[in-house]
Amino acid sequence: MQPGRVVLALLAATLVAAPGAAHHSFAVHFVADKLIKVHGTVSEFSFRNPHGVLMLTSDGDAAAAGAWKIETNSPNILRRRGWTETSIKPGDVVTVEGYPARDGSNFMRVYRVIYPDGRELVGQRPDPSVVNGDD
Amino acid sequence: MRVRSEWSLVWIGAATFASSAAAQPDFEGFWTPRLERERSGQALIDELQGGVALINDTGAGELAAGDFAGLKLTPAAVEEVRRYNFADELKRENTCNAPTAAFLMQAPFPMEIYQSDELVVFKMEYFDLVRVVHLDGRPHPPQTAPHSRAGHSIGHWEGGTLVVDTTHLTSGTFMNNGFNHSDSLSMTERFRMSADGNVLWLVQTYDDPAVFEGTAARYMAWTRRPGEFVYPYDCDPSYGNE
Repeated sequence: MQPGRVVLALLAATLVAAPGAAHHSFAVHFVADKLIKVHGTVSEFSFRNPHGVLMLTSDGDAAAAGAWKIETNSPNILRRRGWTETSIKPGDVVTVEGYPARDGSNFMRVYRVIYPDGRELVGQRPDPSVVNGDD
Repeated sequence: MRVRSEWSLVWIGAATFASSAAAQPDFEGFWTPRLERERSGQALIDELQGGVALINDTGAGELAAGDFAGLKLTPAAVEEVRRYNFADELKRENTCNAPTAAFLMQAPFPMEIYQSDELVVFKMEYFDLVRVVHLDGRPHPPQTAPHSRAGHSIGHWEGGTLVVDTTHLTSGTFMNNGFNHSDSLSMTERFRMSADGNVLWLVQTYDDPAVFEGTAARYMAWTRRPGEFVYPYDCDPSYGNE
């Protein structure tokens, strides 16, 4: 085999061997030991794996104002706790407490969604080992 | 008398076989992960040989970027980690990029197990992965056979412990932090059930000299929940950003 072809073959092998980026990690993208709260109005809610997504327009101070993308942990896990596709609806006014994105963007993972009447939907708990087997 | 003696031998043999079969525990059913503060299956970990690095990211736990559980990565793996772009994980095209059995089993999702004398099947909820373990004594296929996220698994019983050997895995994430295992990783699993049949423990060990030195391991545990089933995962890539 000519040297150039050897190089091409090695390059091809490298390209084949390297997998694409993985499904994103919570630990890499979010701050696990910090919780923040954002208050606002829901504009969209989807409830499909790998993550439910809540789009929220914040009415908070300047630091938190604007549109937020807020992901839940897997809907499969949340279904077992009673969440459904209609647990959250566009127009709902809620406070979301969760784990902020490491890059400082308006992106977070839900710990809990709190309604004005005190009802809560619990997502990713700060210490899931407290309850064996259902997180 | 001679006939009776031969029949006795046959009967003893059959009884021995039945006893052996009965000694194998019944793993069949629905199992949900145990998120333990104290490892209820520590005894299985204690059976590991010295020098094995235990990866502590089971269940809800995850390793941060740059934390590789103390493993010494090969230069090629170090370079691949250096080039890894975490922002790519949030793209639509990578949203449903499922891990292989070398990382998927530890995720905090339940599974169903189906068991016969010749097969054990793991129906995993996470990314809908199905693993088939052959117990009929067949070898692994040639190295050139297709690789997959489930790989090719062969197993046998050592008393009450199911021992599974898996090869033919595609390369995939190993710790979900930019470090990938290669497509030549070999994985050995030891499954064991508690005496009351309500807890299942697993220790996976991995050898992959293409990307790290020595042997690594993970511990997992599940609780039996009769009457429940896994849900379809049906990963939807629309979660990701353009």
